Amino acid sequence: MNRRDFLMLGAAAGGLVLTSRLATAAPNVIDVYYGGDDNIADFWANTVRPGFHKAYPDLDINWVNAADVDGMYAIADRAFAAFKTHTDPQADLFEEFDTNLPKGALEAGLWTDFSKANLTNYPRLNPLGIRNGFGLPYRASQVVIAYDTTKLSPDKAPKTWDALVAWIKANPGQFIYNRPDKGGSGGFFVRRAIHQANGLDPSKFTLDNYSDAYAAESLGKAWAILNDIAPSLYQGGAYTSGNTQSIQLLGQSVVTMVPVWSDQVLQAIDQGVLPSTTGLVQLTDLAICGDFVRMAIPTNAANHDAALKLVDYVLSDEIQTAILTDLGGFPGISWQYFPDDLRKKFADVVPTSMPTFPGGPWEQAVNDGWYRNVAPNIAR
Amino acid sequence: MTAEAETSHALRAAAGRSALGLLLVAAPVILMCWLVFWPILSALISSVWLPSGDGHALSLRSYVFFFTDRYSLQNLWITLWTTVVTAVLLLAVCLPIAIYLRFARGALPAYVQSLAIFPMFVPSVILAYAVIRTVGPNGAVDVLLNSVHLPKIHSPYLTPWGPVIGLTWDNIPLTVLILLSGLGGISQPSVDAARDVGARPLAVFWHIILPQIGNSIMVALSFSVLAIFSAFTLPYVLGPAAPEMMGPFMQRTFRSVNDPLAATTQAVIAFAVCILFGLFYVRSVARNRDRAGR
Repeated sequence: MNRRDFLMLGAAAGGLVLTSRLATAAPNVIDVYYGGDDNIADFWANTVRPGFHKAYPDLDINWVNAADVDGMYAIADRAFAAFKTHTDPQADLFEEFDTNLPKGALEAGLWTDFSKANLTNYPRLNPLGIRNGFGLPYRASQVVIAYDTTKLSPDKAPKTWDALVAWIKANPGQFIYNRPDKGGSGGFFVRRAIHQANGLDPSKFTLDNYSDAYAAESLGKAWAILNDIAPSLYQGGAYTSGNTQSIQLLGQSVVTMVPVWSDQVLQAIDQGVLPSTTGLVQLTDLAICGDFVRMAIPTNAANHDAALKLVDYVLSDEIQTAILTDLGGFPGISWQYFPDDLRKKFADVVPTSMPTFPGGPWEQAVNDGWYRNVAPNIAR
Repeated sequence: MTAEAETSHALRAAAGRSALGLLLVAAPVILMCWLVFWPILSALISSVWLPSGDGHALSLRSYVFFFTDRYSLQNLWITLWTTVVTAVLLLAVCLPIAIYLRFARGALPAYVQSLAIFPMFVPSVILAYAVIRTVGPNGAVDVLLNSVHLPKIHSPYLTPWGPVIGLTWDNIPLTVLILLSGLGGISQPSVDAARDVGARPLAVFWHIILPQIGNSIMVALSFSVLAIFSAFTLPYVLGPAAPEMMGPFMQRTFRSVNDPLAATTQAVIAFAVCILFGLFYVRSVARNRDRAGR
């Protein structure tokens, strides 16, 4: 065999190995995609995977990092394309995904309806978390206000929306929130303003009651509130491009107060990104929204049944308790299923109600509406 | 061999050579058609051939919306503004560096050159965070100023100047390299001759150097302008929430607003602007070839 033949044979063999790897998912290994933070990856690697493998010795998890939300969209796009061509999407479970996307996928039947999947733990889910049967809420976190206690003593920290607005106006340049589509902390701060403008009643916004006219009327009042505080924000109306950037500005002592995710800020304080003098406060007139993280399974997944076993396991007492105690997140199943001692221990941390805001068409109306009506009003 | 046979042999050889030449360029041409021309064509068609009633019909409504929508126009405007300001700054920064590197002698220019090329090896997201830590609020510059009791700077972070600073730095290497290659074509004797008759440095630059590197400046500008116009990471991280540059605007329209039609329309408009700059580049390259052929 001469050198050229050898090279060609080698390339062909290599290509064959590659294609066989790419073409089909491994049987009994569930491809789980996620695009979140490292604490979630650690939790799945150290708690979910060993426990699941113990419960189902013939099944295993392949944990794939899609980097971020956009990466998850790309995988979902691929799954939808595979759905149309009846091929293997090579993705069995999305750790967090909004099943209203990609456009048209839900109607076409890409996503599994968990309410009809006979999961033993489905009836135990917290009803607050269920939007539709296609996303399975298994954990949650909430947005709180973080502030610098060296500049603002905890007893003076605002605890209602009106007090917060008064504080922002009295301390111009000391508050900033991020663009609502670039991270949930700013996103839910904006949605809290929408609740404020509409009688503090989260039930006024549901997935089904969206209409252009209703959105224009209800959101318009919120834009007025946000435009009112805009000149008193950092740089007269600047907005950071993500959760992390807000924490960075708080950490650099540029601003005194920012909205943050509860689990993210606890992690930042733990790692020293934020000093231990960081204070946290939640509004008491109506809490800032939180959201549930919803898993999704494509109906064409190669390991569909195994993926269903996995999500049922994630809703078990074992994992749900670990979410509360190890991850610092809120569980997806209702509070009543937890033992008394845990309920007592976390009574102050876990709110009995978590206002949520629907996604779907509201998501676009709120985010794009904010860009068009609030973001351009900058006093520079 | 008769004369006739000889001619046909030569013709066949020529045909063989040209077939081989075509084969060699076939791969890039096919790639261009597949990955560039086809997407452009499909974007153009899908943004004007819109569903109406039962079927599809030719409609410019998506473009009409863009050009009557104040918000979209502001985004296009800020993109053009950023492009022009950054291009001017780039030229102002890079031309002196390139001239220095061309005419200086010794070991120092080697270090200057590696410094000027350095940004090429820094990913833009790293650069974005570096800019925040240096000229951002309470960043390195503020710390230095504060230590000598001077007031803090008005930080460009989250203003239109943030992306301008980042993009200028990011595009220095390519601009310097292109200008340097243009300056390499200037003959030392012509510079020396001008100096001999008493021309001052500025006169040498204006009358000897500038006329000879006009082409390189055009090429450098059209390259950097294309990169700046389509920038994404730096305006995304460093720029204001609104107005947005076209890159983040398109991405947000596609992902967050979930409106592929509007995003495609924005892409076609961005492409139309870029093609203008591209034409400048093609024209200066063609002019250069004419001159070389003459």
